[in-house]
Amino acid sequence: MKTKITVILSSLLIVGSLNAKDDLFDKNIEDIMLMDSELKADIGSRDGARNYLDSNTPVDVITYKQIESSGLTSLTDVLRYFVAGFNAPETSVADGSDHVRAFTLRGMSPDQVLILINGKRLHTSSLLHVNGTIGRGSTNVDLDTVALKSIEKIEIMRDGASAQYGSDAISGVINIILKGMGYKNVISAQGGQRSSGDGTLAQADAFITIPLDYDGFINLTMDAKKQEQTQRAGEDSRLAPPSVKTHAGIPDSQNYKAMLNAEIVQKNNINFYANALFNYRDSEASAFYRPSSSDSTPVYADGFLPMINAKILDYSVVIGVQGEFADSTTWNISNVYGSNNTHYMVSESMNYTLGATSPTSFDNGSLNFIQNTTSIDLTKKMDSFKIAGGVEYRYENYSIIAGDEASYSGTGSQGFVGYRPENETDKSRFNFAMYMDTVFYLSKKFTLEMLARYEEYSDFGESTNAKLALSYKLTPKILLRTSGSTGFRAPSLAQSYYSQTSSFVDSTTGNLSSQGTFRTDHEVSVALGATPLRSERSKNFSIGSVYQPTKDISFMIDYFYIEVNDRIMLTGDLSGDTQTQKDILAKYNVSEARYFTNAANTKTQGFDIKLNYKYIFANSSKLDINAWYNCNENTIVGSSSQTEKVRVEDGQPADSLRLLTSYEIKKLNLALNFSKYGSYSQMMDNKTYTFDEAYTVDLDLAYNFTKEFKLAVGGLNIFDTVPNKWDGLSGAYYGSNGIKPYSRYSPFGYSGAYYYLRASLEF
Amino acid sequence: MSKSIVLLFLLIFSFNLNAYESEEELKVVISGKVAKYIEWKNCRHDKFIITVFDYPHANLFAEIYRDKKIHSKSIVIKHIWSIDELGETDILYISKDANINLDTLLSSSRVNGVLTISDIRGFVQKGGIMQIYFVSQKLKLKINTDIALSEGFRIKPTLLRIADVVKGSN
Repeated sequence: MKTKITVILSSLLIVGSLNAKDDLFDKNIEDIMLMDSELKADIGSRDGARNYLDSNTPVDVITYKQIESSGLTSLTDVLRYFVAGFNAPETSVADGSDHVRAFTLRGMSPDQVLILINGKRLHTSSLLHVNGTIGRGSTNVDLDTVALKSIEKIEIMRDGASAQYGSDAISGVINIILKGMGYKNVISAQGGQRSSGDGTLAQADAFITIPLDYDGFINLTMDAKKQEQTQRAGEDSRLAPPSVKTHAGIPDSQNYKAMLNAEIVQKNNINFYANALFNYRDSEASAFYRPSSSDSTPVYADGFLPMINAKILDYSVVIGVQGEFADSTTWNISNVYGSNNTHYMVSESMNYTLGATSPTSFDNGSLNFIQNTTSIDLTKKMDSFKIAGGVEYRYENYSIIAGDEASYSGTGSQGFVGYRPENETDKSRFNFAMYMDTVFYLSKKFTLEMLARYEEYSDFGESTNAKLALSYKLTPKILLRTSGSTGFRAPSLAQSYYSQTSSFVDSTTGNLSSQGTFRTDHEVSVALGATPLRSERSKNFSIGSVYQPTKDISFMIDYFYIEVNDRIMLTGDLSGDTQTQKDILAKYNVSEARYFTNAANTKTQGFDIKLNYKYIFANSSKLDINAWYNCNENTIVGSSSQTEKVRVEDGQPADSLRLLTSYEIKKLNLALNFSKYGSYSQMMDNKTYTFDEAYTVDLDLAYNFTKEFKLAVGGLNIFDTVPNKWDGLSGAYYGSNGIKPYSRYSPFGYSGAYYYLRASLEF
Repeated sequence: MSKSIVLLFLLIFSFNLNAYESEEELKVVISGKVAKYIEWKNCRHDKFIITVFDYPHANLFAEIYRDKKIHSKSIVIKHIWSIDELGETDILYISKDANINLDTLLSSSRVNGVLTISDIRGFVQKGGIMQIYFVSQKLKLKINTDIALSEGFRIKPTLLRIADVVKGSN
């Protein structure tokens, strides 16, 4: 029996290893043109696009076809859906964080992920997460500004890359590649609802392309989406009888996006290119319900629910020109301008201090961030090596504009206090960088890449970083790879200059008191021990292997280790230990304060295992299977509050699995996905609560009625999985029977199953 | 049981149809496949000659066309690095790296009535006959029929149906 099996296996292996090149030429031309070519990625090297499986650092690619069959309408959700180790909880009753979702890679901080569009840095949001959400104390790129229909593919590099791209590229880099030439026009619409009948979503988009001479193009994408809220709040036990008042779930929002991608190619090989992003979002979420009280009675006899409205305007414009010298050195000059404005309004609220004269709607001020990057790059390819170098100049500006007086005077507007004149700021900085990137093809099997980058910031000084990456083809089917690098993250201007103070009536003294976030250089912060922020410094190491027994199957395993020194965090609420500190707090009529500090060092380690498999059956139907398992461990070294320690170390799943399958037969496409989210913990009232791991299943069934028209029906989280509630916690606000029965850290939200219908037309 | 699972996996992995192909292999294969749908004005030699200009993966041509025939002729692959080396040929495959010498190359090939193929961007509008490009992991073809006709090539409708046809001579 054993012999038989051995013979059969040997025969099969021999058949499997037959030279594919022989087969290719014997196929008919139509079949060849229908074949899928290798997936290529630009990210991680200035060596040009290459098969992502041959990369010397771990790289993954999500294609637009995968995105289309996911039924998702936001980029944050797309990444959460496809990438194991990418976490983006849906928060509510967390002020601004309800409107700009924080996301993390490998459980690290949101601002330790660099986002690029067509290889150019995308600016971050002006919003700073200051509540107790995942990503507290950080600013991140608002991923939901990007229209999905404009995307050709998303490249994800799971490695440090400050030596290539500069600040922020510590836990990884995500490069969004926009559709180029040759795509068809497409319009599509989607409508859906949660299984519980709320959360209605209506979305429509259009991608229009205009071909130009020499394969130039102008591509325009427009996207409009209306999302109605989901309501998962529990009853408010402060009321008699208890009833549901506060809103906990996905907020109401309307989102309008436009993207442009254009290349004007000249006959002499000069290529003028531009891309632009525009996003306007009007999003509304509630604060906690205010029961009727003597303060509220003059305006709201029965209590009220303040609504926080964020109007977010985000745009970015890239223009550039690239060409080639006679000696085949390529050059590229570009400028990227990005801006984000988050304007807060509060409605259905009041200012207790103003009593009956209080307005019910407030302008609470705005946050603004501007980033402009100019760069010049040169690349020269020789027989055995490639060298690239360049310079970059970046300008950043951060400002806070105060709200109307009624929003901050006295107690300020309930729900969200407006920014005060003393919070106003208008700060700028610039940095200059130069880099060198060399790739040596030491042999057909051995590639060595060395990179170095020098940066000088006007506000915190210099940083020089280096990276070394090696890949070795042990056999034609096995690639070994390793890399080591240093990196950094400059403190964001928001971390340096954000401040917000809010007032409340002290229940014991009856006096008006203030608490809030203070700038590091503020007297209150200095008294509490604040020192000027330094940049975060990182060391990355990865080692892994890619095994490709055939062209249709690949297996990747990569270990990573990341050490971050001087990680910037927001302190807990401090009331001062010494009399001197208390006096200074009192001087500013402040009872509690917090500020940013280089709080601790962190260590992150783990591994990713990936399996990609594609099979074409005899009847030409296709099966795709992609499995991705991520495991990571985050550890804080040094002092930090217990709440922060739990958030950083256990607040996100330590492991996750994505099993994505798609089957295509004739006119039918079926996508069936399975996700595992590991357990996570949140600290509340000095106790750590742990929430169970959870599993979700998604399904998309699409039918091509004609070549042009497609109809799809599907569901996300079709078995309506919800996280378990707080076990044993029974507070009025948080608890299994509280207003918020679910943890805000839940990695897959808590709104339950969503079903949709989608139609698209290509022309 | 476990043996059965292993066997099943191996069966699946062994009889697959190689769904993912490298772009370079596809370019090389298609360069010869299109010849089946094209008639040359003059049959000047008893071999079918493919000249590859400055192409770092030229060995792929040798591998893929070993013992193959086009129009019942055995195939000869020539790899050249300078325009001066360009001799009689049926197909001239010009790599992206040769972009800078494109005008001179195309002028030389026109004198000799050669089917020019390249993946250079805008190739068919720059005077080339056939362009290979990729969209969404699928190989696509562009053919400049005006230039092809002026060079004396007759292209079968079967090929024109699956390619993007571009008009206008350089």
